[in-house]
Amino acid sequence: MADLKDIANETIRDEITEFVEREDEQEKMIDLFAAVTPQMQNIAAALIEGENDEVDELTKAALGDGIEATEVMDDGLIAGMAIVGIKFRDNIIFVPEVLACARAMKAGMTHIEPILSESGIEAVGKVVMGTVKGDLHDIGKNLCTMMLRGAGFEVIDLGVDTSPDDFIDGLEENDAPLLGMSALLTTTMPNMGRTIEAIIDAGMRDDVQVMVGGAPVTQEFADDMGADGYGKDAIDCVELAKQLLSELRGEEAAGA
Amino acid sequence: MNGRERVLAALAGEPVDRTPTCTPTSVATVELMDLVDAPFPAANRDAELMARLAATSYTELGFDTIMPVFSIIQDSSALGCEIQWEGKDNWPTAKMTRPIWAEPEDVTIPSDFLTHPDTKCVLDAISILKREYGDEVAIVGKTMGPWTQAYHCFGVEKFLLLSYDDPDKTRQILDRLKTATVDFGRAQIEAGADALTLPDHATGDLVSAKYYDKYLTDLHREFANELEVPLILHICGKTTEFMDYISQTGFAAFHYDSKNNPKESMEIVHGRLALVGNINNPTTLYSQGPEEVAAEVTANLEAGVPLIGPECAIPLQTPIDNLRAIPETVKAWHREHGSN
Ligand code: B12
Ligand SMILES: [Zn+2]
Repeated sequence: MADLKDIANETIRDEITEFVEREDEQEKMIDLFAAVTPQMQNIAAALIEGENDEVDELTKAALGDGIEATEVMDDGLIAGMAIVGIKFRDNIIFVPEVLACARAMKAGMTHIEPILSESGIEAVGKVVMGTVKGDLHDIGKNLCTMMLRGAGFEVIDLGVDTSPDDFIDGLEENDAPLLGMSALLTTTMPNMGRTIEAIIDAGMRDDVQVMVGGAPVTQEFADDMGADGYGKDAIDCVELAKQLLSELRGEEAAGA
Repeated sequence: MNGRERVLAALAGEPVDRTPTCTPTSVATVELMDLVDAPFPAANRDAELMARLAATSYTELGFDTIMPVFSIIQDSSALGCEIQWEGKDNWPTAKMTRPIWAEPEDVTIPSDFLTHPDTKCVLDAISILKREYGDEVAIVGKTMGPWTQAYHCFGVEKFLLLSYDDPDKTRQILDRLKTATVDFGRAQIEAGADALTLPDHATGDLVSAKYYDKYLTDLHREFANELEVPLILHICGKTTEFMDYISQTGFAAFHYDSKNNPKESMEIVHGRLALVGNINNPTTLYSQGPEEVAAEVTANLEAGVPLIGPECAIPLQTPIDNLRAIPETVKAWHREHGSN
């Protein structure tokens, strides 16, 4: 097990001791950052502080030094985002701060994405995300989208007020195995169930794993309407996406 | 005491014969729309229908207030935001993905702000309600605060990022938007509003208490000075940590969310303002029954919360019986405990 003093960057050390309260998570973060180079720690620290210009420069410089794009993404940007996610979940930072970190993440990804697509490195998986019909709340969905991208998923974001047909088109056009729906209104929650029904009617239910979320949604509600999973926050959403994807792949393998 | 006297006394911190029941935000439901034949979206755009649907909070549900503004976009529409009016089963909203402004200088209050059909509709509805029910119940108006207006006019994420990047610009925007809040509020008072709800969505789930203080305590104090009826601030979410700041604004009341504990909240505000609330919408009012509603009402009464009502605009599919349970429980509780 790594030790705090194995982490060179002071900001990262402070962030972990001050803000990561759960013991298991603290250990995980220490292990994570102790294993990455000081240069990557600096990128993560700049991201946590929402400094998009700095992330932009540091990312460019790291790639210029010949460091692999995947390393910069995983050990710098995504590692930084892990701490951001924890701080947001625990009410240490709020939406404006998270948006600033997301912007910094984007600044770094602008340099990384072209390299990844050129080298043909595949995303972890494809997810179609959207807020359901009649609902215009998108802050939570956007945070999930950002964390999913941060975890290496390719996300097709259909935006707000998305009809069942739009969801189906999005899934078909992108050949995506995962669907994430968000709803913040009790009046629009039933549209999740309607979308699932439409997916069944379209004969696509076996090829798509459906996850749902949003403040009023519960595990029970998710089960009732036949979703495959429910996530209570953005960290959950990423875990769930990974789990559902591996279930789907497992089934495919078993069926093959 | 009648409903109007009771509400105004409670908002002033004066003695009442029993705790008033209050609806600072919408209690419109699809069932009520059918009952009086005043459905959305028409009831958001036609003064007569708006008044008819709003009156049901008194005539059908038994609350001590009538509040006709079911959405948060009437004034945004008059500022120039594009509105998605939706159907009978959903609230209208501003299309925030298409912001109308980007810089503080862009903020201008249109000259027809108070004669625009969507603000005028509210003013006319208040006049009708005042004429028909004004002697019996408190007519509550609603004027949106500048933080919510900024979401609608600049886009939520853009505005929240700006508030992170540039406090000066953020303050300029809020300052320029202030006029809309005051003007629409004054016009409603003139039309007959006894009190005003002032929602300003610096919500607990979005920003910190420090943020509220940084940007809004002083601004809200100005509203309390400039609008000469009792003001009810509405902010949803977990706001326990905001309450000390809010108590310093001079607002008559704070409409608080079920994420806050009644007793703890009462201790924080400590008589500096009245609390209104905080019956849970999605779990209790929407999906449970009158018994569970009664339990939350009782918890508020026992904590000494001076005005009782739902926490926020109730879901449109909320069963009427659950809403009726609020005034019924309050009355029964006072019968049992003797009124003063
Ligand atoms: C911000 C907000 C708004 C903004 C929306 C801005 C935007 N672009 O999103 C504005 C002010 C415009 C607005 C408008 C309205 N709102 Co509003 N709003 C909120 C508020 C305050 C916060 C929502 C939010 O963004 N939270 C922060 C984010 C980060 O949390 P989150 O969305 O829950 O997402 C997290 C998780 O749920 C999860 N998650 C989310 N999606 C997904 C998806 C998947 C797949 C997974 C796994 C996880 C997941 O991860 C996220 C990150 O941790 C809530 C109150 C509250 N406390 O929730 C009310 C609230 C949702 N609104 C409400 C209402 C009534 C309205 C209006 C009807 C108001 C009106 N009367 O006109 C309109 C309707 C608009 C419409 N048609 O959609 C009610 C809904 C009541 C109900 N249950 O039906 C609420 C609950 C307020 C209340 N207390 O009653 N609103
Ligand atoms: Zn609210």
